[in-house]
Amino acid sequence: MITPDPSRRRFLAGIGALSTAALASGCVTSTSSSGKGASSSGPVTLQSNLSAPQAKTAMEKLVEAYGKTGKGTASLNTIAAETFRTQLPTYLTSGNPPDVYTWYPGSVADAYASKNLLLDLGDVWQDSPDLAKYSAAHKKLCTSRTGKKVFVPTSYYWWGMFYLKSNFAKWGVDEPKTWDDFLDVCDKLKSKGVAPIGNGMGGDTAWIGSGWFDYLNIRVNGAGYHRDLLAGRHRFDDPEVRRVFDRWKEALPYFDKDGTAIPFQDATTKLLQGKTGMMLVGTFFADSAPKGALDDIDFFGFPVIDPKVPLAQEAPVDGYFASAHTHRKDGVKKLMTYLATAEAQEIYLRNSSGTALPTHPDAKDSGTALVKKGRELVAAAADITQFFNRDSSDAMQPAADNALTKFFAEPAKIGSILTSWQRDAEKVWGK
Amino acid sequence: MAVLTAGEEHSGSRAAPRTRKRATRVPPVVIAFVLVPLLAEAFWVFWPALQGFYLSLTSWDGVSAPRFVGLGNFQEMLHDATFRTALLDTVLWLVLFGGLSAVLGLGAALLLQQERRGVGFYRAALFLPVVFSLVATALVWQALYQPDGMINRVLGGVGLGGLEHAWLADQDTALYAVIVPALWRQIGYVMVLYIAGLKGIDPVLYEAAKVDGATLWQQFRNVTLPQLRSVNAVVLSVIIIDSLRSFDVVWSLTRGGPYHSSELLSTYMYSTAFQSLRLGYGSALAVVIFVLAFGVIASYLVRAFKEAD
Repeated sequence: MITPDPSRRRFLAGIGALSTAALASGCVTSTSSSGKGASSSGPVTLQSNLSAPQAKTAMEKLVEAYGKTGKGTASLNTIAAETFRTQLPTYLTSGNPPDVYTWYPGSVADAYASKNLLLDLGDVWQDSPDLAKYSAAHKKLCTSRTGKKVFVPTSYYWWGMFYLKSNFAKWGVDEPKTWDDFLDVCDKLKSKGVAPIGNGMGGDTAWIGSGWFDYLNIRVNGAGYHRDLLAGRHRFDDPEVRRVFDRWKEALPYFDKDGTAIPFQDATTKLLQGKTGMMLVGTFFADSAPKGALDDIDFFGFPVIDPKVPLAQEAPVDGYFASAHTHRKDGVKKLMTYLATAEAQEIYLRNSSGTALPTHPDAKDSGTALVKKGRELVAAAADITQFFNRDSSDAMQPAADNALTKFFAEPAKIGSILTSWQRDAEKVWGK
Repeated sequence: MAVLTAGEEHSGSRAAPRTRKRATRVPPVVIAFVLVPLLAEAFWVFWPALQGFYLSLTSWDGVSAPRFVGLGNFQEMLHDATFRTALLDTVLWLVLFGGLSAVLGLGAALLLQQERRGVGFYRAALFLPVVFSLVATALVWQALYQPDGMINRVLGGVGLGGLEHAWLADQDTALYAVIVPALWRQIGYVMVLYIAGLKGIDPVLYEAAKVDGATLWQQFRNVTLPQLRSVNAVVLSVIIIDSLRSFDVVWSLTRGGPYHSSELLSTYMYSTAFQSLRLGYGSALAVVIFVLAFGVIASYLVRAFKEAD
């Protein structure tokens, strides 16, 4: 009989140990583990969903700059946005998770905070001289319903109707202020053979349409109603929501007919080529525009529909939260303190497309006319909303995408569309 | 080794008792080679599968602890219009994608089985799509299907502008538009399986048929098809499994949309589980897919083996 040599025995023992480890790691549904033996030293891991080339480079520079401060080190993992989103619950419930994450404050962060998955950043907010200067709105946005500070905001951007200055001059139209002016502009552009409203709800960016829903709802019913609706406190088949779509129907003939077949990046190209007149989008679209084209770009705020409704704007905030299971609490807090500084935010903005705004009141933005106008738009707003999925939940976004693309195809069926939207929403809230 | 010793025992040689003693002592390394992979398989395959069954009986958002709901998820499916759409689309997919890839694959194999000049080129050309990943394939087809993509341009160019279409964004065409790239890839694969089967048929059978005055159709009907029975079993199994697990091409092109018109059970399972974060309901859908795949294939194989007996 052949006696197995010692190295083979060791190999087999190793395999056995691996299987036992798989057994020990156990049930896929377990939500935490003791995490014993996990290292508490080494760099803080920063999980980032900013995978667009310019944003990724900016993050690398930021992490590099943090290393140079001598306060600590961080290692960056950039993950494709969609993968990041679907994996986030797994990261946060893991026993040995990445430490810090790029994500959104408000309702989406609060959902995790209410399950005790986010690190309490109360002492960072208390000790940081930078965070003390932040606006009251930001402070409120980063506080969970239980009163804990769970988020550090670092930048925000705004949504608006973007257009090319040269094209508007060529077509002889001005920025509209009211809904009727807006429809007039649309009429004019249509008569010139241009699709007045660009749209990019095809491919994997169906969520772009939610920007229209958000704005129409906050203009017709107000920001308070909008947030309540998205949090499940009103029904999608309410008459108030129906009124939103009545307005939308007035603008529907002016939308680019290919708008539901192309992603927003292609819609951006059509806007820059002058094939469409204007487009409701967030400033992130600039990431897919050539830098040279940015000088000709301008925007106006979404038109007023009912002057009695206070003028709210959509200005999503980005920033960071940390896992409650982190083994490097001190490191995380040092990194968060750094990210809140004006210096860190300027480094990020300088290296990215530069259309975002810093949350630190002393940090310099890119200083372009466009950014200045954007800052004014947000500053003058009576209320700020985040965006559909951020004010509601990621789980609700597919239901909205479905309802809104169907509305574009069959606007007459809005009654049944809203009924099934409400049914989908109930499933998500009741899960 | 065990078979060998049993043989020796029957031979009644004097060495038999000693051999039997040796046979009962299976070397530990052999046991290890059986047990270790079994253990690994059990924990990495069977255990997660059982967990999937368990999760299908719960309501779980991926974060909180799962809540046991019994057969609630399956009851919900009975009233779920999207599930019905996904089920019908999956059946349609099975019939169209499965049926056409079998028929066209066999057709291509019949055309290209004989060694003629240049036949290698055509075989390679048909097989080439199999080599590409389906996600890459989908990206190419997405570009073709764009509103200003090649398909619409060609249609416009030949005076069929009226047929120009947002192929992937229209609920009437999305599913069929997605089947085309899937077929484009599958035909080459099925063709190779059939060519291998056709090569294995004894040419004497055809000669005998010709002597009997059989037409080409009669040769195909009475010689080729019966001889391909074993290949058919393989092709059918492959097609059913591939149909039910079809996901990547649909997800890359339409994500099951617009508004569920190209939804398959697999895409509905994925979006329910990982987008709407209803992992319990998603697991229940996975169980349905498993039962369908297993049921269809098992019933076919049982019948096939019965016929073979």
